[in-house]
Amino acid sequence: MIEAFRVGAVSRNGTLWDGLDLAVGDGEVCVVTGPPASGKTLLLRILRGDRRPDAGDVVVGGESLYRGNPGAVRAFQATSGVIPESFPACGGRAIGDLFRISSVAGAGISARERKEREEELLSLLGLHGAQDAGFSSLSVSERARVSLAVELFRGPKVLFADMLLHNAGREWMEMLGGLFRGLAREGKTVLLAERTIPEKWKAMESREGIVKGPFRLFRYTAKGEVP
Amino acid sequence: MTGSSLRWIDWKLAPKAMLRETAGRFCLLFLLGSFLLSMLLSGGMNRFLSEQWAVTAILRLSVSPAEGQGIAGKAAGLPAVRSAVYKDAEESWKEFLAAYPGLSTLRGAGGNPLSGYVEIRMRPRRFTEADIQAVEAGLRPLPQVERILSGGEVLPRLLRVREWVNAFLWAGFALLCTVSFLVFLLQEKARSSFLAADFNFLRERGVSVRSIIVSRASGSLLTGLLLSLAATGTAAFLLFILETRLPLLGRVIGPAREIPTLPILIPALLFLFASALVSGAASSLGWRAAQSRPE
Repeated sequence: MIEAFRVGAVSRNGTLWDGLDLAVGDGEVCVVTGPPASGKTLLLRILRGDRRPDAGDVVVGGESLYRGNPGAVRAFQATSGVIPESFPACGGRAIGDLFRISSVAGAGISARERKEREEELLSLLGLHGAQDAGFSSLSVSERARVSLAVELFRGPKVLFADMLLHNAGREWMEMLGGLFRGLAREGKTVLLAERTIPEKWKAMESREGIVKGPFRLFRYTAKGEVP
Repeated sequence: MTGSSLRWIDWKLAPKAMLRETAGRFCLLFLLGSFLLSMLLSGGMNRFLSEQWAVTAILRLSVSPAEGQGIAGKAAGLPAVRSAVYKDAEESWKEFLAAYPGLSTLRGAGGNPLSGYVEIRMRPRRFTEADIQAVEAGLRPLPQVERILSGGEVLPRLLRVREWVNAFLWAGFALLCTVSFLVFLLQEKARSSFLAADFNFLRERGVSVRSIIVSRASGSLLTGLLLSLAATGTAAFLLFILETRLPLLGRVIGPAREIPTLPILIPALLFLFASALVSGAASSLGWRAAQSRPE
């Protein structure tokens, strides 16, 4: 469980938000929506333990990320995956290389297992046989899906994804929704930051989400119900 | 995350670049290993000079061959002496005639005018003024010895020149070591920059910077040790091979069979460990340099 208590963030232009309380449980998909420059990316970074909030604290599994043992942050980050909004150029790296580095982060993955899971995940995300393709030659949608596959490869307990639905494109919304529900069914947590919630997803939500500062929060469980 | 997977991370992420760098490092270490072994075997100019230079004890005309042999034996027993050979009066005369062919008439009147002598050659590492004086001091009191020729005033000057040449050669070795370290450092810095995005990926996924630095440095240290072992071993093997084909090399550098002896083995082992440490340090410093590089 990830809990944010009275979290505040300040940018160069002033206070972005303050006193934000948030709790995301295990087996839950949570979508944070907000207008551009509202601090969605920053919120994800704070919740991941990448950036200390200007006020408040984040607690994961009962342990503070910012006021406790620094090892707790690393342990949490080791069990989580992160998909950034913009993808680094990766200096001529092939997709297979990204899986290789991901396997280094996730210890104990043999070369054979890596190959099998790589093929399986790329096929699932519509990139069958693309292992040797250069990452920089891919479209934004393909890069988003490759990044997702690379993170899912390690089987993270928590997945943070910034603008993934937007970058993957409309045709992948339904598939990704099903995938995230599947992850939630396995007890995993998915935290997405998007500008807007897809219409189909909105239909699954009975309300218009919960307003939290400049954000709107939408929660889904494995069955697509509001908890 | 295991240490071993991080230790060889550069090989996993940039195998081609690592292969190129390793080949380059092997060549550098081979050069260094060959230089070091040659210097250790030859002692710089020591062996060459000790081959060329002899201390000669000229015996009196009345000294019998048996006495001459005895003096040679006594000289050979001195710790700084590599060999002491007695040449009787007849041999002296033959050598004289070989050097001055037109002077055979000198013998006509009163027989062989030359006496026998003992030719003494110093050990390369003991070819010093003090040791030569010690040999002279050991032979001069003998009544059979008429004169000792050891180079007189030329010797100290020659030994000074030798010191300068040796210092120059060792400075060359030190320079080559420094250049190698800088090459290693630049390679590590370039690789760390090239892999920066990958290390950032790992950092964001809970891998500590410290473990990345330590594991990479330990991998580099191990590679450095194995590479220097292979390079120095190859250099030693080549010296053995070349010595059989080029006997002159054995006289200038020294016999390769001396390589497995302690005076050569200990510095060679120190070289291996130093190479490993330098590789590890270059990895760590290269990482720091790449991180502090202005964006």
